[in-house]
Amino acid sequence: MSRRVYLDHNASTPVHPEVVAEMLPYFGERFGNPSSVHGFGREARAGVDTARERVARFLGAAPDEVVFTSGGTESDNMALKGIAYARGRGHFITSKIEHHAVLRAAQWLEAQGFAVTYVGVDAHGMVDPDEVERALRPDTIGISIMHANSEIGTIQPIAAIGRLARERGIPFHVDAVQTFGKLEFDVDAVGIDLLSFSSHKIYGPKGVAGLYIRKGTKMVSVQHGGEHERRRRAGTENVPGIVGFGKAVEIRGRDMKEEHTRLTALRDRLWDGIRARVPGVRLNGHPTERLPGTANLGYRGVESESIVLGLDLKGIGVSAGSACTSGSVEPSYVLVAMGVPLDWAMGAVRHSLGRSTTAEDIDYVVESVEPIVRKLRAVMPVGAA
Amino acid sequence: MRYSATLLDHFLNPRNAGLMRDPDGTGMDEYEGCGDLARFFLRVRDGRVAEVRFQTYGCGPTIAAASAASERVAGRTVEELLSLKPQEVEDAVDGLPDDRKHAADVVAGALRAAALDALGRHQGEVG
Repeated sequence: MSRRVYLDHNASTPVHPEVVAEMLPYFGERFGNPSSVHGFGREARAGVDTARERVARFLGAAPDEVVFTSGGTESDNMALKGIAYARGRGHFITSKIEHHAVLRAAQWLEAQGFAVTYVGVDAHGMVDPDEVERALRPDTIGISIMHANSEIGTIQPIAAIGRLARERGIPFHVDAVQTFGKLEFDVDAVGIDLLSFSSHKIYGPKGVAGLYIRKGTKMVSVQHGGEHERRRRAGTENVPGIVGFGKAVEIRGRDMKEEHTRLTALRDRLWDGIRARVPGVRLNGHPTERLPGTANLGYRGVESESIVLGLDLKGIGVSAGSACTSGSVEPSYVLVAMGVPLDWAMGAVRHSLGRSTTAEDIDYVVESVEPIVRKLRAVMPVGAA
Repeated sequence: MRYSATLLDHFLNPRNAGLMRDPDGTGMDEYEGCGDLARFFLRVRDGRVAEVRFQTYGCGPTIAAASAASERVAGRTVEELLSLKPQEVEDAVDGLPDDRKHAADVVAGALRAAALDALGRHQGEVG
């Protein structure tokens, strides 16, 4: 295997070399606990503070509105459960295509006696703000809608939903794990009260993420212990991770715009190249309101995992929209919510591009896909799915 | 790589894939709860499998298992095929990961069904 092409950046990204360099001293000479008052602790504290300022500046927020966590999943759980338990009872609105961190936290809250409405999406995977408005109840205590879905990349109309929430004084949570550092937005302009964002999707280290909490938002902590993070999230800070995250955010601020234009062109080159060569392929997701590097393509009548395996053998890393395990095979719940027919949904393959992706990579993928799909179709009975 | 070289070779270059005109026996099996399916077509001469064709829908291991099994069963008697075990199909691809064992189940099931169909048709002719 000579060539290797990584098109799974929505899953994770390689840590940027500048980020690694920024982190290294915090594994060694600046190892202190940021809560310690001595010089060793103060060095570590300074690293965390710098990172917090960088993140806050990027979001248009104040540094004390940023809480560092262990991952997007923790941020989402903290947001939903923090809102819920600050109020004790009430109703949430979220969508059917949220990340499992939101969906399963919402389901758990239902089991605890809270009510949840899951709004649907249209054929492009877009939430309708009018449907969110219709779902509002006098006891609605929170709205959680993701900024962009990781599978299909469709960007949600969060400004319109934010307005609805703000007019009624309802906390609005946005899971921005897939858009933070990729799209420009300002938490004030969009009316966001809570925002989940993660490091390893933007060339930072794994195991670190954040939750923006607007000042004045009524929340309770869901993790108890020390006084860390202004008593909002107990536990000694992951100092090297946080420092790296801060650097990653700073780099995104510098590179994001140019990267957006470049990746959008490459993403479209991929789709145009594949649809010109392969019959029976569709784009899942919004044609324009979509993450710059995301292309989810559905191959009718072909099982996606076999395409992923075929591409893997060519050195190409993509992800399958459906997974066949020993017990069951389920089409993506996101594609099901969009109403994608089963024989298309089962053949969904996500390509997510990133800073290392080149036009040559895209051309290699386009050339590789056609014979794989042709061969698979030769062994698969038409309409089997 | 979690799959054997033999499995990957059959996945990339499936043998005996496709339809068969006027087969002497056909059989299909589908893995319950999973969309994977295999369909086999047999040509029988003098009670032995003279030609095998298959179609599958499923993940890579299912395609590979069908291809490898199609080579392995050629020349056998139809009666022998009735007792084909999934383990033999798995052996033909040099093993399967635990979460892909169903590939062997569905292929063995479809071949047994095809053998039963061939036998039934033959007995029908004799009778």
